[in-house]
Amino acid sequence: MIQVNDIYKTYKIKDKYGNKSTLNAVNGVSFTLKENTSYSLVGQSGSGKSTLAKLLVFVEKSTEGEIFIDGENLSLLSKDQIRKKRSNFQMVMQDAKSSLNPKYTVFESISEPLLIFEKLSKNQLNHRVMNLLNMVELPQELTERYPHQLSGGQLKRICIARAIALNPKLIVFDEAVSGLDVTVRKKILELLIRLRKKLSATYLFITHDIDVALFLSKNVFVMKDGVIVEYNQNANDFSSFKHEYSKLLIKSLPPVYPSQNNNLKVNII
Amino acid sequence: MFRDIIKNTQAMVGLTILLIIFIFALFAPYLAQNDPVDVNPVLKFKEPSSNYPLGTDNLGRCVYSRLIHGARYSLFIAIPILFSLAFISIILGTITAYYGGLFDKILNVICNIFMAFPPLIIVLSLVGSLGQGMINIAVSVVISMWVWFVRVIRSYVLEEKNKQYVISARISGCSDFRIILKHIMPNTMPQIIVYFSTGISGIILMISGFAFLGIGIEKGLPEWGAMLSDGKSNLYSNPQLLIYPGVCILLTAAGFNLFGEALRDIISKEEG
Repeated sequence: MIQVNDIYKTYKIKDKYGNKSTLNAVNGVSFTLKENTSYSLVGQSGSGKSTLAKLLVFVEKSTEGEIFIDGENLSLLSKDQIRKKRSNFQMVMQDAKSSLNPKYTVFESISEPLLIFEKLSKNQLNHRVMNLLNMVELPQELTERYPHQLSGGQLKRICIARAIALNPKLIVFDEAVSGLDVTVRKKILELLIRLRKKLSATYLFITHDIDVALFLSKNVFVMKDGVIVEYNQNANDFSSFKHEYSKLLIKSLPPVYPSQNNNLKVNII
Repeated sequence: MFRDIIKNTQAMVGLTILLIIFIFALFAPYLAQNDPVDVNPVLKFKEPSSNYPLGTDNLGRCVYSRLIHGARYSLFIAIPILFSLAFISIILGTITAYYGGLFDKILNVICNIFMAFPPLIIVLSLVGSLGQGMINIAVSVVISMWVWFVRVIRSYVLEEKNKQYVISARISGCSDFRIILKHIMPNTMPQIIVYFSTGISGIILMISGFAFLGIGIEKGLPEWGAMLSDGKSNLYSNPQLLIYPGVCILLTAAGFNLFGEALRDIISKEEG
């Protein structure tokens, strides 16, 4: 179980004249993520979703607040102690291409977390990487390819394989399908659903599309200006959302058919 | 990358020039017919002959032998200087850029202080206090130049450390040491190699320049800059005494520059 207690993240920023100010990216967020459950976090760009994701996987240190994983307060741990626990929480980043080392082959990228956390023989490592490739539905011939030789969908699958390699307790997917064309997007979403059924972990899908959020999970957090404004525990459809901001996100979705334009009243802000 | 280098004409021209100069430097005792420091006033300003392929200078020394031995001085001073600068700058630049904090701030202040003085002033003062000699000139050049190299390496690492694949490596559980060694270094190394391969020509020119001014290299040694200085009094009567070492310096600097710039083109094409 992952418990987040009143977490804040404040950045010190400078404007073009050198005047210092603060930016509250995450503003007192608290929630609990249950084991083997999937959650979605939705909000527009700049709402603090990605910062919250980085806080959850300890890439960023919170300004205030605590994060407990299975009752242990990880916010109190040192950088090195956190590193040793990293196999418990993994993240798939937004831009798949830039989140893979351009000098690493597919095999090297996927095997890296295994090499760090598990003592495996060469054969065992090879076997594990091939298994992971099968899980993310990629052909084994890709192992010696470099990121620039792969498509966006393939890169995303490699990032997913890398994240699930250590069977973590929490996997955060930051904009899992953004920047992908519609067919690839559909395939990745379906893959995520299949993986969710196969692997027991807590999933947090971060997205700015409320329809994607709903497709991936019935437990939806809606975030605005660094604050969670709505938590819908059993969101079956768009009508389950009550908050004005959630409704605005729904209204902002592009119409499926052109004729739907007439029925939509989109508030443009 | 090696295939690209072989296919690139500019890189191959640069490499060929450098290879010839390296062969001259390595096998100088076998290729030189005469002792480069053997003074014989009777033979001064002799025309080229089978014994003296490029003639003799104002002290009767074999110009060809001096030029070949000169390659040793230029390269064998410049290369250790470059390796020392690489060692210092890669370690300091990488650590300060990666960790930041107080150490980085202190290093920045030191860099600013050193960079306020032109390297020539620092070298002149150091050679003045340390005395003449090849080791002293090498030490002086390293002391005067290290901050410039540290700054450049620091900027390469700073750019790289904020990239997503480094954050991704941290999420995967990589230690700082592994991130630096396996992720940041391999990705900054091509730029660093290009920077040093063009930087070495600057060092060679610098040493020759100091030798021309009579700084660092002991009098009489067959260093190309010192040969230029010796030949300048005979500019009108025997201009070849300036032309030969001048061409050698030019070719060496051009070789490194051509190769370095071709390398930069190849790497930027690969990254693009």
